[in-house]
Amino acid sequence: MIKELLHKQIHFSQLLFFALTSSLGLGILLVVFQLFVDTQSLFGSSSDLLSNQTVIISKQLGRDNAFTPEEIATLKQQEFVKKVGGFTNGTYRVQGSVSIMGMGGISTDMFLEAVSDRFIDVDNEDWNWSPSSREVPIIIPKNYIDLYNYGFAPGAGLPQINQDLIRKIPIELNLTGTSKREVYDAYILATSEKINTILVPETFLNYTNQLLSPDKEVRISRVIMEVVNPSDPKLLDFLAKNKYQYFQSELLSSRISYFLQLVLSIVLGIGILITILSITLVVTNINLLILKNKQTICQLHFLGFSRKQIANVYLAISYKILAVSIAIALILTVICKFAFVPFFDNLGVQTSAFSLVYVGIAAIVLFVILAIYYTKHTHKKIKQMTAVNTSLLTTEI
Amino acid sequence: MEAGKSYLVKAASGSGKSSFFNFLYGLNNKFTGSILFDEKDIASFSETEWTQFRRHKISIVFQGLRLFPELTAIENIQLKNQLTNHKTEAEIRSYLERLDVAHLADKKAETLSYGQQQRVAIVRALCQPFELLLLDEPFSHIDDVQIDNATQLILEEVTARNATLVIASLGNSYNIDYSKTLLL
Repeated sequence: MIKELLHKQIHFSQLLFFALTSSLGLGILLVVFQLFVDTQSLFGSSSDLLSNQTVIISKQLGRDNAFTPEEIATLKQQEFVKKVGGFTNGTYRVQGSVSIMGMGGISTDMFLEAVSDRFIDVDNEDWNWSPSSREVPIIIPKNYIDLYNYGFAPGAGLPQINQDLIRKIPIELNLTGTSKREVYDAYILATSEKINTILVPETFLNYTNQLLSPDKEVRISRVIMEVVNPSDPKLLDFLAKNKYQYFQSELLSSRISYFLQLVLSIVLGIGILITILSITLVVTNINLLILKNKQTICQLHFLGFSRKQIANVYLAISYKILAVSIAIALILTVICKFAFVPFFDNLGVQTSAFSLVYVGIAAIVLFVILAIYYTKHTHKKIKQMTAVNTSLLTTEI
Repeated sequence: MEAGKSYLVKAASGSGKSSFFNFLYGLNNKFTGSILFDEKDIASFSETEWTQFRRHKISIVFQGLRLFPELTAIENIQLKNQLTNHKTEAEIRSYLERLDVAHLADKKAETLSYGQQQRVAIVRALCQPFELLLLDEPFSHIDDVQIDNATQLILEEVTARNATLVIASLGNSYNIDYSKTLLL
């Protein structure tokens, strides 16, 4: 009966407003969150071994295009550069041969390079080599696999290979230096879209250079840098002034992703702001509901109803509206997810329904946090309202 | 005050009768001295204790009645009664009958006259267990015949529970045999 009594003074329009503000705030938050989760693959270094803030530079072709230690020191001093590393060449001839499941093999001349391990985002355990290791891990450009799969394999009657299969291909490396010749077993650890070379661990390259061609000098022909912001004009100015070359398209995509990330962060910020505002509105709404019933609440309390009993009537309403709002927000999120698919396709983002799992978890967490907050707030308000010595309690009507 | 006895608080209006009742009922603690209930200082009661107290130990008819205008007379009474399920609906209706307001049971409280509301509030106060019954000018708008009916009903209930009765009045003593009269 206490429920009916308190409900009598609550208007439907008020509850509708409550639900609308709540749905709006939560909806924006969940949609942006979902967007964030879905686009992470664009930014995270997880999609590639090199981060998006990586720039590879080289000098113009000429007689001597190696970087001197002074030039590298100058690069390191630039404020827009986070870390710098050189590509080192193998100083020997390399012949790689592959035999695929006994169906004959391919053999080719190739080359090996190495960069500092700091730039490569793979498990240390895998990307490791010591003279006692059985096999050498190598990283090749993803293009090579595509060339093989779509160009070479169909013509030669060979099977296509996928990412999982790559690791299982046995490769034999014949290294011929000035003073010695060695054979090593190798396997492809991973492929990368951002490097245009064949990488082996730095330890392997240093070791074999020393072993096979001790008399040859090691030159740094290209430099890899991790920068703060790939679209920094100072960086571009610096590169132009020193006549350093870089992959335009690579830098462009880095800049786009930097920009996108910035925009998304702003959208997320605005989303959080709107959510905070909407929660404030919801709390104000709860206050209004309680204030409107101040007289009734006081009377009920001193008739013998506990504060908890009274608060529970309001909490039941809050929980219901919160649940409905979260449900509406979730529906909005799912609709937006499908609406965004064409745009994601343009960006080359692989969307999966899996991000909805994260959104679902976020929704549950939000529900619990907000429910706890509303509960505390409602109890506090009812307590204030029914405190002893309040004018309503002590003056006669 | 002792169990089973009746007391009259007699004073002109504005001299603090209602404040005194508010002190006893725990709505106001701005007093000096101490009030003991079963030898326990009421100032030390927690909010939960007060709630239990108002359900099982003390009942009151406020001077301002404090019925809920949007509820019917019977709903107002049942709201209180359901806390302890002290009386059956039949009992409640028979009390209303004795005070000549049974025909108004299903009318909203806001449509009743003040005198009728006073009688509903009296019945509501009886619908719970109590050791102390506080009546703040309960009969101010009731005619003499109904006052007799009401005092009779109240005294029956008070006697049955061996409770203490405290009535505040401007001057009339309503033909009740008081143990003591307090003049404020």
